[in-house]
Amino acid sequence: MVEAVLQPLPESHVDDKRRIPGNKGIWVGITCVFIEFTVLFAVYFISRAHFPEAFHEGAQRLSLASGTVITLLMITSSYFIACSVNAIRLGRHGSSVRWLVAGLLVALGYPLAKFLEIRWNLAHGIDGDSGIFFTVYYYLTFNHLVHATWGILGILWVLARLLVRGYSADDYSGLEALASYWHATDIIWLIIFPLFYVLA
Amino acid sequence: MNGKPDHFSALTLTWLALVALTLVSLGLSEWFRSVRWLPLLVAAIIWLKGAMVARWFIESHVAHPFIARIIQAFIALSPTALVLTAFFGDTLARWATL
Repeated sequence: MVEAVLQPLPESHVDDKRRIPGNKGIWVGITCVFIEFTVLFAVYFISRAHFPEAFHEGAQRLSLASGTVITLLMITSSYFIACSVNAIRLGRHGSSVRWLVAGLLVALGYPLAKFLEIRWNLAHGIDGDSGIFFTVYYYLTFNHLVHATWGILGILWVLARLLVRGYSADDYSGLEALASYWHATDIIWLIIFPLFYVLA
Repeated sequence: MNGKPDHFSALTLTWLALVALTLVSLGLSEWFRSVRWLPLLVAAIIWLKGAMVARWFIESHVAHPFIARIIQAFIALSPTALVLTAFFGDTLARWATL
């Protein structure tokens, strides 16, 4: 009876095959970011439930073009970085560098587009005091921009390491960790976009 | 080549689908602005886009179960909240009143 209890549990067949994309550290960070944005989205939905008219009218005043451009930039940079990971796995170092540079250039379009959007907002009298919708909008989108900025700095670091052949087909966890973070940031924007720009 | 599969085609198809869904979202905001079930459709698109990024870019289907579950939960959260807010907004507001 005692022997039966002390025997090790059979390991899950599923767990054997599954892996951690990147490394454990980045997933601790991504989980914290998910929790942070869950709280921010809770603020959004509670505010929306209390002030449906303000949210309906507020979305109509935002620049749909800006939201769309940022969405396309996020999706495309995410795709380029995923291609960079795919290339390094296949041992194509040069191709991986080119995809990552492309991802960086497109990612840099996000802060630029956001800067132009804010300028457009201010020119149209939209600031943090314009009502509950815009307070939540600025708080959530600025927060996302901050996280994207960390991601851009991460891309620069990973690119520098990739250029000195710090990653190879056998060891690319740093590149994959950065990619995971950027994809998580992408997912968050894909939620923000319709909530603020589409549901007018 | 090192025997590892090349996912370039799948990644490209995913990117094209994400772009297409974004453009569909724009159409929805124009054509169905005052339709009652618009939040339902928007919620479905949010979930679909998130699931596609998770499946093809992050490869969550081969990730550790904890990672896969945390992504699934996060992707499902906002669409669910959107539908609840759209159809039961008054109840939610009452519950969330201090």
